[in-house]
Amino acid sequence: MMLTTTILFYVFSAILLVSALLVITARNPVYSALYLVLAFFNAAALFLLLGAEFLGLILILVYVGAVMVLFLFVVMMLDINLERLKEGFLRYLPLGLAIAIVGVLEMVAVFWTAPIGRVPAPGPIPANADNTRALGELLYTHYLYPFEIAAVILLVAIIAAIALTLRRRPDTKSQAVGKQVAVAVRERLRMVDLRGPKP
Amino acid sequence: MQNALFHWSFAIPEIWVLAMACVVLLVDVFVGERQRDVAYVLSIFTLLAAMALTWSQMGQTGFAFFGQFHLDPFTSIASFFVELLSLLVLSYSRKYLLRRSLYRGEVFVLLLFALLGALILISGANLLILYLGLELLALSQYALVAFQRGNLRATEAGLKYFILGALASALLLYGMSLLYGLTGTLDLHQIAIALVNVGSANYLLMLAVVFLVAGIAFKFGAAPFHMWLPDAYQGAPTPVTLFMSSVPKIAIFALFLRILVDGGYGSIEIWRQLFVALVVVSLVIGNVVAIAQTNLKRMLAYSTVGNMGFLALGIVAGTQNGLASAFFYAVVYAFMATAAFGLIVYLSREGFEAEEISDLRGLVRTRPWAAFLLLIIMFSLAGVPPTIGFYAKLAVFQALIEAHFIWLAVFGVLMAVVGAFYYLRVLKVALFDAPAEDLAYGADDPLAASVLTVNSLALLILGIVPGALVAFCYHALQGVL
Amino acid sequence: MIPLSHWLILGALLFSIGVVGIFLNRKNVIILLMAIEILLLAVNINFVAFSRYLGNLQGQIFVFFVLTVAAAEAAIGLAILVVYFRNRRSINVEDIDDLRG
Repeated sequence: MMLTTTILFYVFSAILLVSALLVITARNPVYSALYLVLAFFNAAALFLLLGAEFLGLILILVYVGAVMVLFLFVVMMLDINLERLKEGFLRYLPLGLAIAIVGVLEMVAVFWTAPIGRVPAPGPIPANADNTRALGELLYTHYLYPFEIAAVILLVAIIAAIALTLRRRPDTKSQAVGKQVAVAVRERLRMVDLRGPKP
Repeated sequence: MQNALFHWSFAIPEIWVLAMACVVLLVDVFVGERQRDVAYVLSIFTLLAAMALTWSQMGQTGFAFFGQFHLDPFTSIASFFVELLSLLVLSYSRKYLLRRSLYRGEVFVLLLFALLGALILISGANLLILYLGLELLALSQYALVAFQRGNLRATEAGLKYFILGALASALLLYGMSLLYGLTGTLDLHQIAIALVNVGSANYLLMLAVVFLVAGIAFKFGAAPFHMWLPDAYQGAPTPVTLFMSSVPKIAIFALFLRILVDGGYGSIEIWRQLFVALVVVSLVIGNVVAIAQTNLKRMLAYSTVGNMGFLALGIVAGTQNGLASAFFYAVVYAFMATAAFGLIVYLSREGFEAEEISDLRGLVRTRPWAAFLLLIIMFSLAGVPPTIGFYAKLAVFQALIEAHFIWLAVFGVLMAVVGAFYYLRVLKVALFDAPAEDLAYGADDPLAASVLTVNSLALLILGIVPGALVAFCYHALQGVL
Repeated sequence: MIPLSHWLILGALLFSIGVVGIFLNRKNVIILLMAIEILLLAVNINFVAFSRYLGNLQGQIFVFFVLTVAAAEAAIGLAILVVYFRNRRSINVEDIDDLRG
């Protein structure tokens, strides 16, 4: 059981890191978006290993289901010239890699040596643990204030996205459902007397 | 700690701003293009009432929402200032927005939401609340910068601001995650208690503080994390620049104060060194690169970088006095920036932004009063006595010398002298160059003109009698350590 | 069992990939936005791992809010991107340089 968890951790982590690398190096933004979806699936699996079921599922539902679809939608809407995109990529690559490697080594050294890194792993999660209920009980009581703020943030996102992108184009054709429903018989049907003059 | 939900009355200013933002949003839907003034007046009223509500709370202290909301003198005083600054922003910009078909309800609503984010940030006593307040402030600002959506420069500035702002948030979040791991709590007061046992020689704590300081420096616009700032300032519509240069400066100071003083004062030896580096780079870049600018908004953006360096001098001092002088500096800078960008807003008209330094040629002949106000503003920014800008710099230097950072104080004074040069260059153009024939400033706008007059004269008058403002700002930081 | 340091190293690697992605893809704004999502994912892994090993739920609560805010952030970011593309009137992602740095 322990061994399975360990193996799963390394498998999911490896796929997560590789797909994240592919996100930033792929030539085509559509591929990048799809690799990001793969990364999110693996992260969700890792969340499940950590006993955070609710967050794992939310990650898939909200991220893969909504945010990434939005990304794909924009990528496909803005038909992008692939040739131009990678200009400068190679130019910055050596410096970028050098900085990244130094940074990673420093962070790894800290995490490797930090006392907190050797905190003993907690015991297995009890079979009757209900992660969703526990989160919900905290969220709607103790964390009510941040919950309200999060609602405001979503409202701002709605207002901003609509105010920025909504265009009223007079030349587009669209269905006016209200008018269709409100239509009266006499506007559509005209009785015409087809009987000609009496012979 | 009285962790009672029942203290929600502490948050009445926040609740009021939120409720009224929603009312403005709804009212704006129902009034037509002609009655847009209804939404505008309603927003002004919201801000005035919020100031009154905040003022009425002055002197109360305590916690609300399970210790997540902290009402102390700093909360009341800083909230009051950001509300006043938002009011100034709205009063300056009516004509500007009207002339550019930006006079829309969404602008007022986003402004109110940005203010709400600043208020939440100022009163936050929990990492989670600080993050959410910061994001509310930032997201509203990204949208405001790009709001002139037919304008390539504005949308480009919005995009740059968005990407670097999101990067800064991520750095801050990473630092927060390490701080949480180290202390096992999100509550800043419990973090402070936990850090006593950690000690400042802990590598994990160092890593956390490095990320936190980098995130805060990004948001402050301190060099070398300032690359978004000149573009965002120049590209955004001037009233938005006006907002960005004032309200967030106080809000980000609050972010610093809450995380690294309320929570992380145990790590002062770490963050102080980082801020020394930020100070040196900011003072050099801000004051030297500004000399080369021909665009006034861009020059003022670099001036912001330099001024964040001066502000951080007080942070480096790290004492009660030092932090108070830094807050005083933030407040004074915010009002100086409002006046400076307010002047640009006032001089602009349709199709003419009055944002090049050469646009001010011979201002003294065409608009003598505006030229006089420009003189006060530039003197104050340069730190020439008897303006308030002089006292702000003096306070910071004094605190620094008290804390035995003599060489840094000397360096700061030198940079202040270098900085004075480019402010005086603007004055030279305005006072001594011949006016160009083709320049015509905006038609007179009594509202903006009177606000500008009050704002600029305040810089002079408060400089002559600085006592009350100094005492008010220092009172805010009473008992913070 | 996996020590906590392995989770933190995973987070650090992922975070670095995100930062490098921002550094390298200066011309491709969409990838920049995705790199930001990677950064936030790294932070989330840190929080959830700490939450499990410290045995308190606050970290998971934080992640819940980070996910909410990140969704809002993506919506606004993509909206600004769409507006920017409309102004460019071109389908190329040019280097953003109308404002000199």
